[in-house]
Amino acid sequence: MTEAQVLEQITAIVQRMLEDKGVKAATIEADTELLGGAINIDSLDLAMLVRELEDVVGHDPFAEGFIEFRTVGELAKLYAK
Amino acid sequence: MSGAGAFGLEAGDATPLVAHASAILSRGDFATAAEALTAKMTAAGVSRLMVHSDNPFDILRAIDAANRTGADLFIAHTNLPETHIDAVVKKFGVQMIVAANDRATEESAVGAASGLIYMMTSGTTGAPKIASHSLNALMSRAKAAMHPGNRGAKWLLTYQPTGFAGVQVQLTAVVGRGVVVAPEQRTPAGFLEAAKANGVTQISATPTFWRAFLMVIRPGDLNLRQITLGGEAADQSTLDRIKKAFPEARVTHIYASTEAGVVFSVHDGREGFPAEWLETETQGVTMRVSDGFLHIRTPNAMGGYVSDTAQPKLDDGWLATADRVEIRGDRAFIVGRDDSTINVAGSKVYPLMVEQFLLRQAGVIEAHVYGVSNPISGQLVAADVVIEPGLDPAATRSAILAACRENLAQYQVPRAFKVVDAIAVRESGKKG
Repeated sequence: MTEAQVLEQITAIVQRMLEDKGVKAATIEADTELLGGAINIDSLDLAMLVRELEDVVGHDPFAEGFIEFRTVGELAKLYAK
Repeated sequence: MSGAGAFGLEAGDATPLVAHASAILSRGDFATAAEALTAKMTAAGVSRLMVHSDNPFDILRAIDAANRTGADLFIAHTNLPETHIDAVVKKFGVQMIVAANDRATEESAVGAASGLIYMMTSGTTGAPKIASHSLNALMSRAKAAMHPGNRGAKWLLTYQPTGFAGVQVQLTAVVGRGVVVAPEQRTPAGFLEAAKANGVTQISATPTFWRAFLMVIRPGDLNLRQITLGGEAADQSTLDRIKKAFPEARVTHIYASTEAGVVFSVHDGREGFPAEWLETETQGVTMRVSDGFLHIRTPNAMGGYVSDTAQPKLDDGWLATADRVEIRGDRAFIVGRDDSTINVAGSKVYPLMVEQFLLRQAGVIEAHVYGVSNPISGQLVAADVVIEPGLDPAATRSAILAACRENLAQYQVPRAFKVVDAIAVRESGKKG
């Protein structure tokens, strides 16, 4: 999956999470910080996002240990191949 | 009467004690509020008090007033269902409830109070377990932890304010003339904003909190002196990342529980604890491994559950934990809870409890709740449900999720939630 495709997946998963929470959709771009307050998700939502990405993309960038990321784009980069 | 001032708060003292949302309250404000509450309690003959609030203002003035009057204090989580609160009030004869608007109950006294503090585990279907502590033991632990670097410190209250760790942070601030900073928004961004606005110097939090917090924090945002990790096992990579982000701070990880109080703290930056601490008294506590589980003997332990027949205290005086220990070389590691529990960011979730809740929702005919692992929170709650034929799966799913969010603690809410056709049953007859 390319970075752009992963970004699309992240956007779709986050929008579904927000819908599940009954919260309005957010604008998500590569430089959006995942926990910076622009998107209404908490750290457990983020944990779930990472898990779902592993299923969708097919690999786990954290298999060898945690890697720092902050923005949607940085997370997409970790999964892109 | 324990006498005014035993808690160290005096009217007129302008030193700040709590920063909550945008308000800052002084030690004197608390002394005055506690005196008012004491007068109210004395007038009504209250010997059993409950605080049911997440606001440190309510929690600390209730502790202070209970201390001044010698009353028993029940500290109740705000996310406990009302039915459980009512049951505790009735069963233990709680005569007054401290909240934004304090109110008297219709209960009457049940005999002499013993000046204990009762803390509750979170329970959604079963009644919460209640553990008793003496305020003296809690305070002396806070005092023991009071090295000069902690005096006048500003603490970020990351833990549930009504839980053991949350109460301990608040008492530490009281003892050390420090400040408790409690944000209005309990999100990583909200915590950072409050920490920056108030110049927080110490943060005690779970490793999961730290992993999320490190994602929003920028170099220079905070000048931390003390960093403490607790609630779940601290892993080496998280310890290393914290040390890198805050090279000046002292980093400590602790092992504590509602039942045992604080058991040990480790300062060497390595995960686990020295294996030699097993069987030799360290920090006033003795530990042993029995059948792979950690046992503890500690003067800080609670007296036992008052509301549960399954006492974790063994006949020989040891406390049996559900934590598995593994020894590798000179180091001992906590490797996880007993296998039925899901550990979400340091909070224990009992799958059975969530299953029972789901099964009570309209349209649900079967539910399976289990843990799924991930690199951020360790584990998360996942749920599969089977719904009655003919129902709209999307609408039913939304309704169940909304009920979960309303009635369960946020860490108990299933994050992965699927409507399925059937749930596999093993040969043993058990699900999954």
